[in-house]
Amino acid sequence: MRLTDDPAVEEFRAEFSAYLDANLPSEAEALPRPKSSADIPEWARRWQRTLFEAGWLLPANPPEYGGRNASLQQQFAHLEELSRRRIYHSFNPQGLGIIAASLLSFGTAEQKRRWAVPILRAEITAALGMSEPGAGSDLAGLRTRAVLSEAGDHFVVNGQKVWTSGAHDADVLLTFVRTDPDAPKHQGISVLLIPTDTEGVVRRPFGSIAAEDDLDFNEVFFTDVVVPRENLVGPLHEGWKVANGSLGHERTMLWLSYAERLEDLLGDAPSEEEWYATLMMDVQALKLLGYRQLAGQRPDVEVSMLKLLGSEAVQNASLHALEEQGLESLVHPASTAPYNHMNNENFSASWFERYVRTFAGTIAGGTSEIQRNIVAERILGLPR
Amino acid sequence: MEFEFDKDQLMFQQLVRRTVAKIQALPEDKLWATYLELGWLEAPPIELAIVLEELGYAADPTPFLATATWFTPLAGRLPRSSGTGVCDGTGRFVLDADRADEVAILTKDGVVVVDGADFAAERVSIFDPTLHVAHVARPDLVAGIPDLALMGLAVSTVGSCRRILDLVVTHVKQRVQFGKPVGSFQAVKHKAADMYVAIERAKALAYFAALTLAEEDPRGHRASVMAKAAAGECQRLVFQHGLQLFGAMGFTWENELQVHLKRAKAGDLLLGTASVHRRALLA
Repeated sequence: MRLTDDPAVEEFRAEFSAYLDANLPSEAEALPRPKSSADIPEWARRWQRTLFEAGWLLPANPPEYGGRNASLQQQFAHLEELSRRRIYHSFNPQGLGIIAASLLSFGTAEQKRRWAVPILRAEITAALGMSEPGAGSDLAGLRTRAVLSEAGDHFVVNGQKVWTSGAHDADVLLTFVRTDPDAPKHQGISVLLIPTDTEGVVRRPFGSIAAEDDLDFNEVFFTDVVVPRENLVGPLHEGWKVANGSLGHERTMLWLSYAERLEDLLGDAPSEEEWYATLMMDVQALKLLGYRQLAGQRPDVEVSMLKLLGSEAVQNASLHALEEQGLESLVHPASTAPYNHMNNENFSASWFERYVRTFAGTIAGGTSEIQRNIVAERILGLPR
Repeated sequence: MEFEFDKDQLMFQQLVRRTVAKIQALPEDKLWATYLELGWLEAPPIELAIVLEELGYAADPTPFLATATWFTPLAGRLPRSSGTGVCDGTGRFVLDADRADEVAILTKDGVVVVDGADFAAERVSIFDPTLHVAHVARPDLVAGIPDLALMGLAVSTVGSCRRILDLVVTHVKQRVQFGKPVGSFQAVKHKAADMYVAIERAKALAYFAALTLAEEDPRGHRASVMAKAAAGECQRLVFQHGLQLFGAMGFTWENELQVHLKRAKAGDLLLGTASVHRRALLA
């Protein structure tokens, strides 16, 4: 164990910090605001592309994927710098953190070129089609059906997804489909990239608990949608492996975002009550445990613990902040943090909205109950 | 930064685990002699934390914790043999105060070290059968708890909690009701998972404290306070769920669970509960 970073990390941090000072878009430029998690305004697309080209988007990646082969410690310094300045990493977070990441792990060279790079460069945006009306926590029970044509050159997709964040604004959906209905449910799943302008794809956004016009969730209907075989990600019928990879990326993205939310809460809800000290400990513990995880020193399954710990810590602290503000928490719309044009307004909304949005953390990406099952079964070895 | 043990530390941890498992049935004086022989009292903070976690796991009956983390930082040296320290300003419930060879006392005139043989301390009977505490009556005591003492109690409490969880996991895998191991029920799994998360959280903060103390980092004091508060929060949940999940069997004297539950609870109450240290963090 050691505390100090090597000098190369501090140099890296200083370089990135200077880069941000010199290049960050101005507030005037950033007036158009994103409307969903797959809607990136033009200025933010330019910014993400600039970061990509400078190797500052995902510094651990090689240069062709928006990075500079940075070390883990440098990667962490990068995230800390963004978080400290409350800069949202991408206005299409699932595109960057899950879909592009999954394509870089499982995609062909052509898929990386055609889909991953444009997502990273914010030329297109992406959404994740996993949950269905009958397949939420029981994701492997998904029923959206894809049939491979006799010639083997395309699939025909029929079925429905739901909770597909940003689908109505996305260019492409990473869609989990059943290709072999006779196989046990974890086998027989495949993954397809489905462009949203394909005939037969219908997207219907619906409001969230936060507001009727907060349109991020979608129902997505597929009726005889033709998808070329080259859009198959990973081997046929082996989508569950991709799903686990994607869910792993998702949980990593999520715990990192909870670390940011916890930092926000430290700044936005200063309190002399004891819960605030618990919040300080949660921030510190999540970072310590998460760093170890990112360093690859822990089994992948422990990311479930990070997701659970982080999402519940954010929820608890937000509830305390809400209660401490009392009736003022009900005012809506309201702002509970200084406006920051580089951030997502959801994170500075009224205390009630901030609290209620924390349930996305304890429900999406595998509910807290599912994470507890995973910890109990796969870490503690309790019987299924 | 590097928050995982390096190779040498991992090897040391393995060695400590094996040693503690092998000798834990020995009488107290033999245990003590072994610890001295192995040089564990001289271990630097991270290695000391590794030892203390395992001794917590084993509910060690010797004055090791008090000697290494109460006496030594107060006196600024190792004792002749065993030692303890009076540092919370009250002199009440001082670990091993009536049996240590030397006692370091924090008074308004600074630290005074006295010989245990000439020192009056009155042992107090407490719930925990393995923990030795006594009251010290002196009018000139002041408070000044060493960071090492907070870290030491924290990591030792984490060890007790780990032991409780291990016992519980073994129990719920074996205990069959309704034709299934009770550990297959979600109500049981979810409590066990929460115990695990609480332990990992407290452990991470305890070792972070040890790391800051090892490197004499300015964050050392706050990190130690956090570690003690987190260990206290951890035992609160682990005690509650641990005893509940063990069912009636955990409610008996014969079951070893009781020893570790009491250790964990005492670990929170000694030198200030989680609540006391949360408030210290806010001050």
